Amino acid sequence: MSHLVVVGAGLAGLTAATDLALAGVGVTVLEARERVGGRVHGVEVAPGSWIDGGAAYLGDRHTDLEKLITELGLRTVPTAMTGQSRFVLGGGGVSRDGGASPHGGASPHGGASPVGVSRDGGVSRDGRFPPLSAVALGELFDLLTELVDAVRPEAPWLSPIPDDQTALDWARRNLGHRDAQAFFPLFLGEMMAADPADVSVLHMAFYLRSGGGVRYLNAFEGGAQHSRVEGGAHQLCQRMADRLADRLGGAVRLGTPVEAIRQSSTNATVYGAGAEFRCDAVIVAVPPALADGIELDPAPPMPRKTEMTAPGRAVKVHLVYPEPFWREQGLSGWSVNAGGPLLSTVDDTPPGGTPGVLTGFVTGREATRYAALSYPEQRAAAVAQAVTVFPGLPEPAAFRVNNWVRERYSRGCYAALFGPGDWHLLGPHLTAPHGRVHWAGAETSTEFFGLMEGAIRSGHRAAADILRRYQ
Amino acid sequence: MKVEEVSAIFGRVLELGEVGANADFFALGGDSLLATRVLSAVARACGVELSFDDFAGSPTPAALALRIASLP
Repeated sequence: MSHLVVVGAGLAGLTAATDLALAGVGVTVLEARERVGGRVHGVEVAPGSWIDGGAAYLGDRHTDLEKLITELGLRTVPTAMTGQSRFVLGGGGVSRDGGASPHGGASPHGGASPVGVSRDGGVSRDGRFPPLSAVALGELFDLLTELVDAVRPEAPWLSPIPDDQTALDWARRNLGHRDAQAFFPLFLGEMMAADPADVSVLHMAFYLRSGGGVRYLNAFEGGAQHSRVEGGAHQLCQRMADRLADRLGGAVRLGTPVEAIRQSSTNATVYGAGAEFRCDAVIVAVPPALADGIELDPAPPMPRKTEMTAPGRAVKVHLVYPEPFWREQGLSGWSVNAGGPLLSTVDDTPPGGTPGVLTGFVTGREATRYAALSYPEQRAAAVAQAVTVFPGLPEPAAFRVNNWVRERYSRGCYAALFGPGDWHLLGPHLTAPHGRVHWAGAETSTEFFGLMEGAIRSGHRAAADILRRYQ
Repeated sequence: MKVEEVSAIFGRVLELGEVGANADFFALGGDSLLATRVLSAVARACGVELSFDDFAGSPTPAALALRIASLP
């Protein structure tokens, strides 16, 4: 084994490339974009001040990620929030009395307290959960926990959980209470950027299990959103790429989208941007929709995706203000807005305290609609909503949008959504090499699937597979 | 509900063995999501539907049992 090509300079590809370069293998990383990082992407909100436009969060179970952060001389900052949350469950076509609204709406059922409801339906209160029936939400989490406990994490396709029905089918059958029905799509959007109609029941259960369970995946403090990388997670990829090129003798070629890979019994050739790269083996470390678009000769026995595989439906927007004004009002910046488009917002202000950054998540079905809007329309909708949720906010100084749904070289975020039948068909082959072509990426890890931690673990796994096989 | 029954619910939801009558749910690692699961279990066991605010004001098995008993 003397030379390897890695397709994709995200966390997975760069991790694999680093491991192999350290083992003495010559490595060339081919990246379609003019930047490294993939779904990890920095946004500069003020000179020298960066936040995460893509993947952002980590928790204490993300051990490989924590190790990488330390190794690269970076640090984490806690996401701890102080102040009250804002909940708007009445606007944007969602009726408070239920009616014909598909979302149902808030109902002061069974002791749920509609504390301080203002005319627009906005409520300020402690905690991150909307003022819906706590008992109904508890029943939803009980049901999800039962499903999660039934997942076989090493071989999800063997789990006794339906793979031929969608999470929407499941919700219709199992969620009796209107508040649970209203909350479920918001929860699934936040957890996995999915519309309930996108994912099989098995994929929903698997994803929640893979990420550490319902509580861990949902929690900021003590959970998967405990902290973020100080100065932005994109530095991980930049520093890995620099280290690879400067110290480990590897090469990272930007602007080189790979179109085809041909292989013989003795070698492989990767074609992209008019160039050819001869090597002994290849690691394809891009999301399934992109991996499936690479022409392989000979053709693989299995596709990387099916017609049921959906893109992760997330658009992340950033509203930049001179200061985090909401803090002066005793608010945390966290909000839940059933009517969208920003289904939730979070205070993303850098540790220095300026500028004030409100990051909004548009997920699930809402993201499909929002992604199709023009930039001015996206901006107008986000600004209008920010003012509804946080009354008194001025016009933002800047508005940035990361439209991951339309992003050509990601095709969705947080991760690919496995639809009905996908796990049974694709699952057993996710990590199986096709001749000299190996697979990595956040969707090839059954641990922390779709997360930065999963991407890193997949890179280590692919590199170890190659070293075992060829040396 | 008896205090021991509420303790048993705390223990199951928090995935802990024993939970004392005066142990604080949030100090034991509970959060608002897990609190809703305690409330659904209480509703199943005795038909009383408490709100999250009820729980936040009585986050120990003893206090929660008292709160349940105080309701009509």
